[in-house]
Amino acid sequence: MAERTIMPSGNRLRTYFSKPANIITIAFLFILIMTVVLPLGTLLLGSFKVNGNQEAIYLGRDVQDGDFTINHWKELLTSKDFSYAKIKFWIPLGQSTLMALIACAVAVIFGGVVAWFITRSDLPGKKFISTVFVFPYIMPSWSMAMFWENFFKNTAINAGKGMLQAVTGICVPESMVYGLFPCAMSLGLHYAPFAYILIGGILRNMDANLEEAATVLKASRFKILYRVTLPIVMPALISTVLLVFSSSISSFTVPFFLNKSSINSGNNFIAISVQMRSLINTGFTKGQGYVLAIILMLFSIAILTVNNYITGSRKSFTTVTGKSGQVSLVKLGKARTPITIIILILVGFFAIIPMFSFAAESLLEVPGDFSTITLRYWLSGEPFEGSNKGDTIGILRSVFMWKALGRTLLLSFIVSMIAGTFGILIGYAVARKRGSRAATLVSNLAFLPYLIPSMSFGAVYLALSYTKGFTWLDGSFILLIMVGSIKFMPFASRTGTSAMLQLSGEIEEAAIVIGVPWWKRMTKILFPIQKSSFISGYLLPFISCMRELSLFVLLVPSFQTLATTMLQEYSRTGLSQSSNAINLLIIVVVLIIQFTVNKLTGASIDKGVGGN
Amino acid sequence: MPKIVLEHVTKRFNKFTAVEDLNMVIEDREFIILLGPSGCGKTTTLRMIAGLETPTEGKITIGDTVVFDSEKKVNLSPAKRDIGFLFQNYALWPHMTVHQNIAFGLENLKWPKAKIDERVKEMLAMLKIEEFDKRYPAELSGGQQQRVAIARTLAPKPKVLFMDEPLSNLDAKLRLEMRIELKRLHTDTDSTFVYVTHDQLEAMTLSSRICLIKNGFLQQYDPPMETYSNPANLFVADFVGNPSMNFIDAKAKITGEKTAEVTFFGKKFVFQSSRALGKLSSEDAVVGVRPEFVHLKKGDLNGKVYGTLPSGMETTVKLDIDGYILTSVEFGNVDYKLHSDMAFSIEGDGIILFDRESTKNIGKGSVKPA
Repeated sequence: MAERTIMPSGNRLRTYFSKPANIITIAFLFILIMTVVLPLGTLLLGSFKVNGNQEAIYLGRDVQDGDFTINHWKELLTSKDFSYAKIKFWIPLGQSTLMALIACAVAVIFGGVVAWFITRSDLPGKKFISTVFVFPYIMPSWSMAMFWENFFKNTAINAGKGMLQAVTGICVPESMVYGLFPCAMSLGLHYAPFAYILIGGILRNMDANLEEAATVLKASRFKILYRVTLPIVMPALISTVLLVFSSSISSFTVPFFLNKSSINSGNNFIAISVQMRSLINTGFTKGQGYVLAIILMLFSIAILTVNNYITGSRKSFTTVTGKSGQVSLVKLGKARTPITIIILILVGFFAIIPMFSFAAESLLEVPGDFSTITLRYWLSGEPFEGSNKGDTIGILRSVFMWKALGRTLLLSFIVSMIAGTFGILIGYAVARKRGSRAATLVSNLAFLPYLIPSMSFGAVYLALSYTKGFTWLDGSFILLIMVGSIKFMPFASRTGTSAMLQLSGEIEEAAIVIGVPWWKRMTKILFPIQKSSFISGYLLPFISCMRELSLFVLLVPSFQTLATTMLQEYSRTGLSQSSNAINLLIIVVVLIIQFTVNKLTGASIDKGVGGN
Repeated sequence: MPKIVLEHVTKRFNKFTAVEDLNMVIEDREFIILLGPSGCGKTTTLRMIAGLETPTEGKITIGDTVVFDSEKKVNLSPAKRDIGFLFQNYALWPHMTVHQNIAFGLENLKWPKAKIDERVKEMLAMLKIEEFDKRYPAELSGGQQQRVAIARTLAPKPKVLFMDEPLSNLDAKLRLEMRIELKRLHTDTDSTFVYVTHDQLEAMTLSSRICLIKNGFLQQYDPPMETYSNPANLFVADFVGNPSMNFIDAKAKITGEKTAEVTFFGKKFVFQSSRALGKLSSEDAVVGVRPEFVHLKKGDLNGKVYGTLPSGMETTVKLDIDGYILTSVEFGNVDYKLHSDMAFSIEGDGIILFDRESTKNIGKGSVKPA
């Protein structure tokens, strides 16, 4: 501290900026304030002002565009005219909450149980199960919803023959096919692999001695589970629940695909995210849409706070290290074969059958009727009936489709490059400046986009693109790149930070001493050592971006921009064959890229999510 | 009273053999130390006896109970073996207080609450950690955690106590303190201790017998002093003792039942063994000399001072004899000039003659110039 008093301030600044970590910290503080804090501010502001002339007219009472108003909040939350607040806000909120809770339960129980079997028992075929089990997470989030529909739909509810009906003739009631329950199930199944990766990671890192100590002290297997294992993995479990909950409640695509209930069935389900989009897209309720976006975000932030409070308690669960090499696996004994069969069937059903279902659906003129098999939704060169879009039916011959896929790939590539590189740089700064206030702030700000629901995040940037001075962003590709890079940065920055923290400072100092410049230290020393972790930090944003819809849906200039938005449009217009075909195409592209990268570099998405 | 018997115990992980055909008897109330370099199979052996690992073949008996028998398909769970286990990293449950940690095992035994509290108090007092009763493990230092772990293990009064490098995570001073505590506990608790370590000093100071293992094979199973002064082979001789034994390459020829002619450092010596000499495969032999048998400043052997390492109570002196570095230990603080000439002699009745090829100890005695 003596230095501080002696050194003149100019010199101190120079010293400060001679360290790359400091420059990066300051630069990212600036970038993140611009890309995260500022848009959030715009959104908050947007919920308190009149957005555009349509809104001004709607509000009446001689208000003008840009005036301050609390009307959006008041109307959406309290208006009793035609039960407006109840129908537009409180009921969707309640239903979405229920949906998210069910999804959490499904994800944590299914994922957690499989994680336990994989890490703690002598279940055979672990490698196969754990590879295949993550498929649903790699697939676009609505795939499960599409599969659910393909599987359960039936002619009794005027929806075409699904797989179940085709094979067994059983027609399930509409509430099993559309609405809240199937949404919750699809989300739960989609996030089960995520829960598996997180819980499995903790179980793998958890010192098996903790359980063995209880065994030696004569605790029964059941008692060990609920007195030792569960309490210790509880923080991870709670984190998983919270993350799944916040992702589910704000999920847009799944409720969007599965809200085709007939109006008077009593099964009507409008998720809060679907509501938000319709509010924003209706010109005169934009402000109310922003209010919803903010409320969804508050949910997530509250959830994070709860999470931090729980994991930060004095029991300190973080010290789970030790010789985990010597895990004695639980012998399943007689139950081994039945358990294996059940798990294989479940995993196969949710991870492999969906792909067959997409393929089948894309090949059948009349759903469920295998006599109408056709390749025309893939290969036909005819134009669409009754459409003047000039596009062909066969998606493989459609110029629009190839352009959209190309744009999606390009977008994902650029986004992953930016997000991954930012992640590494942030990781470097955080690791080198551990504990400093600026670094902590950067690390928290970089994680913030994860907690903002995709739809809200899209809304944030939409609001920004309508703001004076930023209108040039409206509908541009740059806007999509910005949104994607920032939204998918959290995982990259987390992987980057943990990889950097594993490298001791001495490794870099050894190079500093012999005068290796910073750029070379990064590319020739630090990157190669943690190559697979860093590449995972690139892979996850890429995959997430490839299959993303909710984030971009508000921002694309037309539905032809991205493969996912085309898929959504086909699904909306009832061309389920084409939407299934596109879905399969996206999954295949993602899987091929994921496996190629994995084989070439050892990077994997579970590394990106935080597993081992 | 428990006596532990291991018969033909073998453990293979896929193709790698961790323990090979181990036969061993641990008598009641012994303090046995399984010693060896890391990865030699000692922890695996301990875990097999405790039931945390399943042997591939063999039979293990604790007291009158066969706890494992590969032929009869007997495999008792650790809970049924009546043992205590102290883990290297203590394995304290982070979500339970010190009190809850210690009481857990007693609850499983369905002790009445009052009796549990009494026993926990007793353990806390015995290990001098009463004031930490309500704390969580994360709020304790390493040494305190260690004591809690010991209290938790001892609370149900196990007849056999297994310990897997329990002191390796402590700093040097604390380790010394805990060693004494453990030795006292052994006497106080009246139980059999089986202890794993790679620290030969720990083995020497604590155990009643040392079981030295290398690559899954038992090397020697004897009281520490016997292991030190009469090592079964070159590996044992090298592993036990610090500074380690000098191994001088020599040519040997057996001349009588207890005598041999050995040549080293260019001179001929007569090796007089205290027992009948073993077999020599060829004339290649190794003379093993503990540093304390090398006496400096007088004698008919000559070398140059290569370096001195005074440590206060004693000084290690390294001599260079035409490229061979010989270690000697002198009492007190001495310092010799580097490269200066130094006369020395090899005296004492603890000189070991090893067969070069089999590495086995073939005789113990003294050397005299021929």
